[in-house]
Amino acid sequence: MAKALAMFTDTSVCIGCRACQVACKQWNQLSWEEPVWTGSYQNQPHFTDKTWRLVRFIEKKDAKGDPKWLLMSDVCKHCVQAGCLEACPTGAIYRTEFGTVNVNQDICNGCRYCVSACPFGVISFNTGTGRVNKCTFCNDRIHEGMPTACAKTCPTDSIQFGFRDELVVKARKRLEVLRQQGDKDAQLYGVDDDVVGGLNAFFLLLDRPEVYGLPPKPVPLPQRKVPLDSGWSILSAVGVAIGAVVAFRERGQSS
Amino acid sequence: MTQPPEWPWLIDLYFFLGGIAGASYALAAIADNFGSPEDRGVARTGYILALALAPVLALLLIVDLGMPGRFFHMLWVPKPSTAIGEGAINVLGFHVKPYSPMSVGAWGLGFFGAFAAAGAYLSATERPDRLALRRTLGLFGGLFAFFLPAYTGQLLSATAQPLWMDSRLGGALFLLVAATGAGATLALILQLREGGPARTIAKLRRTYTWCLILQAVVLAAYLWNVSGGTPKTVRALQLLLSGPYALPFWGGAVILGVAVPLILEFRDGFPRGYRQTAGATLTAAAILILLGGFLTKFLIFAAGQALGLTA
Repeated sequence: MAKALAMFTDTSVCIGCRACQVACKQWNQLSWEEPVWTGSYQNQPHFTDKTWRLVRFIEKKDAKGDPKWLLMSDVCKHCVQAGCLEACPTGAIYRTEFGTVNVNQDICNGCRYCVSACPFGVISFNTGTGRVNKCTFCNDRIHEGMPTACAKTCPTDSIQFGFRDELVVKARKRLEVLRQQGDKDAQLYGVDDDVVGGLNAFFLLLDRPEVYGLPPKPVPLPQRKVPLDSGWSILSAVGVAIGAVVAFRERGQSS
Repeated sequence: MTQPPEWPWLIDLYFFLGGIAGASYALAAIADNFGSPEDRGVARTGYILALALAPVLALLLIVDLGMPGRFFHMLWVPKPSTAIGEGAINVLGFHVKPYSPMSVGAWGLGFFGAFAAAGAYLSATERPDRLALRRTLGLFGGLFAFFLPAYTGQLLSATAQPLWMDSRLGGALFLLVAATGAGATLALILQLREGGPARTIAKLRRTYTWCLILQAVVLAAYLWNVSGGTPKTVRALQLLLSGPYALPFWGGAVILGVAVPLILEFRDGFPRGYRQTAGATLTAAAILILLGGFLTKFLIFAAGQALGLTA
């Protein structure tokens, strides 16, 4: 495997311009969608089959009680332990040599099990094609030595593209700067393996993950409990079998 | 925020009928191997019912796909990538992921269909050599038969959806609902036949009442288990316990589906000496069991998707 690529999204410098959202649409030739009023400038309210980079506007009150926004350019996290990939029964979802996760449109048959297995609500069903879509990490660009479209476009370098190990170092340094400036709530999300083994698109947040609509740490891989659960299923089958065997072995039972 | 898969009620119908089909085969195999010769009617009926349902099950799944013509991709693809999952097994295009219940389930359903066909075919006559083969196949097929209802509950648990993701007993509960329902179905069918053997029907009633007791215990454990889940799970659970689904859940799934049949069966003589093995009590209990079982699965299925796209 080649060295893992990553995107580090530093929400502390996001200005909510949504150039990333536009660049993604443009590069991937994603069509127009009916705008949905969310109460803020955020549009769409959630990931869709045609919205793969989504700037979230989260309203909260600051220390003085005045309204303010937390801004976050959300994206597919290309998880190290990917729920969508482990769920996919056709093998359509695969991992590239860069660690990114893609959907093979020639194999997907639209069962939507991956949609149910993504802890972040990223991968989406396309009713037109009958298959699922999500951010491809600009698969065509990275194979030509180019950065992702969103990272290239971001005017504040909120979205940074590079090798994962180098970006992790940058992220930790940035967190340290914010802490020294007195920001106690700033935190990294997806750098360590407590979020589905680590994210290849990780974040610096200015509040708890739940505030952004992200699942709080630790985030387990949905499939990890299958062996344990199966034990209970086997036990219940044994219970049924014992009852049935005992009932059917009875001889000469008067009614 | 998660997105629901937006599976329609057809998929829940698959869960319910798949459970009846699988558990019918399993009970048939047990009656075949451990029962007396007069119980062979249970075996024949169970195998044939399983086979009759098998194509319906496949159809329900295929129709729901975004691209139904590619349904076979769940078993075989022309050029599979080598990087499709941590534990994926890939041989000449045939593939399976042991940690994906849907992947294992596609194969399980296929093997189950084959065993059901064999069991039904070997039930066409009463030749002794066919019966011996049928019994042996029944033991192996029984594994796939028990797998069929259980894996669908497990499938829901291996997701990130509220309620489903926090349940460790989904497979167990779905299996028990199926076992109770299949026992009730077989008893109803045998009762419909003129002069259905009284002792055999009594054995079926004992079996499904035992399963109903297990089902009640596991349902309680299931509710207790998910009550300790994430805030979204608790919200979905509230839909069942006190929200819009409370009436069909408590009234239908619990009271009509579990409590009333238990009372009827105990009054009729469970576990020893039934006052009468067939008749109105059996019919009422069996129908209520099937209604309650269907509601149990359906309400869990619906509650997991009901919160939609809310955070």
